[in-house]
Amino acid sequence: MIPSASHPVPSGTAGSPSGPDGSPDSQVPLRVLSPDGGLEGEAPDLSPTEREALYRQMSRLRAFDNRMINLQRQGRIGFYGPATGQEATTVGSAFALEAGDWIFPALREAGALLVRGYPLRKMVAQLYGNRADDALGHQMPCHYTARELRFVSMSSCIANQLPQAVGAAWAARIRGDRTVVLGYIGDGGTSEGDFHAAMNFAGVFRTPCVILCQNNRWAISVPVEKQTAVREIARKAAAYGIPGLQVDGNDVLAVVAATRAAADRARCGGGPTFIEALTYRAGPHTTSDDPTRYRASEEAGRWPDPIPRYRAFLEASGAWDEERERGLQAELEGEIDAAIEEVEAEPAPDPASLIEGVFATPPALLRDQLEEVLRPRR
Amino acid sequence: MTIRHEERPVLTPHNLDETELLGLFRRMALLREFEERTAEQYARGRIWGFCHLYTGQEAVAVGAVSALTREDYVVTAYRDHGQAIAKGIDPKRVMAELFGKRTGTSLGRGGSMHLFDREVNFMGGYAIVGGHLPIATGLALAVQYREEDRIVATFFGDGAVAEGAFHESLNLAQLWQLPVVFVLENNLYGMGTAVERASATRDFHPRAEAYGIPGEAVDGMDVLAVREAVTRARDRALDGKGPSFLEMKTYRFRPHSMSDPGRYRTRGEVDIWRQRDPLRTFPERLIEEEVATREQIDVILGEVEEEVRECIAFAEESPHPEPADLMRFVWAADEPEGEDGP
Ligand SMILES: Cc1ncc(C[n+]2csc(CCOP(=O)(O)OP(=O)(O)O)c2C)c(N)n1
Ligand SMILES: Cc1ncc(C[n+]2csc(CCOP(=O)(O)OP(=O)(O)O)c2C)c(N)n1
Ligand SMILES: [Mg+2]
Ligand SMILES: [Mg+2]
Repeated sequence: MIPSASHPVPSGTAGSPSGPDGSPDSQVPLRVLSPDGGLEGEAPDLSPTEREALYRQMSRLRAFDNRMINLQRQGRIGFYGPATGQEATTVGSAFALEAGDWIFPALREAGALLVRGYPLRKMVAQLYGNRADDALGHQMPCHYTARELRFVSMSSCIANQLPQAVGAAWAARIRGDRTVVLGYIGDGGTSEGDFHAAMNFAGVFRTPCVILCQNNRWAISVPVEKQTAVREIARKAAAYGIPGLQVDGNDVLAVVAATRAAADRARCGGGPTFIEALTYRAGPHTTSDDPTRYRASEEAGRWPDPIPRYRAFLEASGAWDEERERGLQAELEGEIDAAIEEVEAEPAPDPASLIEGVFATPPALLRDQLEEVLRPRR
Repeated sequence: MTIRHEERPVLTPHNLDETELLGLFRRMALLREFEERTAEQYARGRIWGFCHLYTGQEAVAVGAVSALTREDYVVTAYRDHGQAIAKGIDPKRVMAELFGKRTGTSLGRGGSMHLFDREVNFMGGYAIVGGHLPIATGLALAVQYREEDRIVATFFGDGAVAEGAFHESLNLAQLWQLPVVFVLENNLYGMGTAVERASATRDFHPRAEAYGIPGEAVDGMDVLAVREAVTRARDRALDGKGPSFLEMKTYRFRPHSMSDPGRYRTRGEVDIWRQRDPLRTFPERLIEEEVATREQIDVILGEVEEEVRECIAFAEESPHPEPADLMRFVWAADEPEGEDGP
């Protein structure tokens, strides 16, 4: 548990029934809002503007996801991986950091980039991979990167960002600066050897990092019950001498509170924390996936949507209403339309850029291949 | 003479008679003598390359394997002489392998770290730390799939616990309820790295909980405690209750390998652990509890000395591998035929 007076967390054990692993007790996940948005716990210290910003970013991410899926279905972009249902976890956790902290994403953390202030237009450009894209189409779609915002490129290989995140945190510790690193992982990713190596290293060297597992219950078609015999992934942290806790990942205020407390702790030399955010992947794994083939549609129909839940909280305090909602939706639509229009007008990258930006000096073999590509066809 | 409960409260729970108890001692003494003479032969240049001695940990291999049947599989790391001999490989062939001779368990091409004998279901020593754990887990999957009546016991060091392969293996073993017993030999060092510099948790057995596997600490210097724990874990696996994790608290008396000057620990520390040397404490206990006499113990020690002398003579006299065979026995297509086979 995180020892922090300002952000108390439950002491861990309540007498719920034992898990399939024979563990005696279940943790109570940290929660601030009740499922219908009533204030149930202690809300983190946030200004009215910050509270509104959380809502705006979650809504923005949702609107963006919906539009990008449409673009993919229309054949205008090749591929997309939405974060629908997980908005509170990504937005809340990134929000709790300081600007100088590093983020090592897994594969569903576009929301963290939005929070960091990355222009939506650049995200669209990455998906089109044309001349507007900083990486000129070299990366797979959805693999955003923004060095200037301390957001490391997403990587397709599950879990390999975590040893890197822990290594970056170790560097911060050696340098003695106050940087904290947030590394994300999926529930599926916890089965990887890299997860284990990273957790062990973080524990031994007490690196200033927060490792946040987005337990969205699915790894493509594998449910979490078939991923690990342990019901609470947070329990795994104990094996490494790291405090682990569960948070309601559909409660944005709880995610902010938990991540902030863990980041504070890391910043003060208290070492790493593992957070399991309980959430749900409401959509398909990606646009190449059809979840109706492996999970009941009733299950997806019952998903706890974090956005209306938080909206209810804002409305109850008079900070939000129907009119503002309409305004926001119109604003988002305009922003996304403008971004798409701007990016679609750009041409494809110059073919000569094919071998640029990968090797410091492109090897002869690649130069030969490029020459062949550029040679006029007879 | 069978020891009855009322008379021998300490030894009887194991239900072992005098012959069996002396058998355990004999096997531990054989391993000790084998390793001492191996060190000597290494110094004389008869054995070369990587070589990791098992001295100090004999109670683990002997106690654990005594709880298994010949059909059960054993898979271990590179510190493998002890498990190999305990599992029933002829020590002569083990010594011949160390000498790089044709009569060795792996025809002289595996050396100390790659002992192997399918006949006794000793499925190998492996040099990559933690690399054999997925192999053991896979064997257990095969056993479960074929509905066979046997289990897999796999041995590994404290250093292996930090490997990704360990994590992946334990997760799947429990998820699929595989008949495998994970035997961690915590000898407190991975080469020169003390466990407290490699793990943020003091004990390893509570880590099993992260996988939903029952974990237990065992006195790895007590051959009967080891035997008892492995017996229970084996029964569990046979009952279809899945894997177990046993942390054997043990110690290696000699350096990590033949090329380790051992500057990371004090003589005093080694001496303290030598007080608990199973080759000292176990016979003392047998004598104290009147299971055996000093003379019987001495006879056994003399016999194993002679046995290891014969091993060395066998290895010395055996032929070297044929240069013409250099490319053979590596790929499945070159599977050796008849008596040539490993
Ligand atoms: C090492 C590796 N193995 C397999 C894959 C294929 N793959 C892509 S995403 C994924 C599932 C990941 O699930 P999880 O970690 O729960 O993240 P989520 O998709 O739920 O966000 C898999 C298996 C991969 N990218 N990398
Ligand atoms: C993957 C890998 N990394 C490093 C090594 C080098 N290495 C050989 S033995 C060893 C220490 C292993 O310690 P432990 O698992 O405790 O076994 P012990 O030697 O104590 O029996 C290391 C690091 C290796 N063989 N394989
Ligand atoms: Mg998942
Ligand atoms: Mg060791």
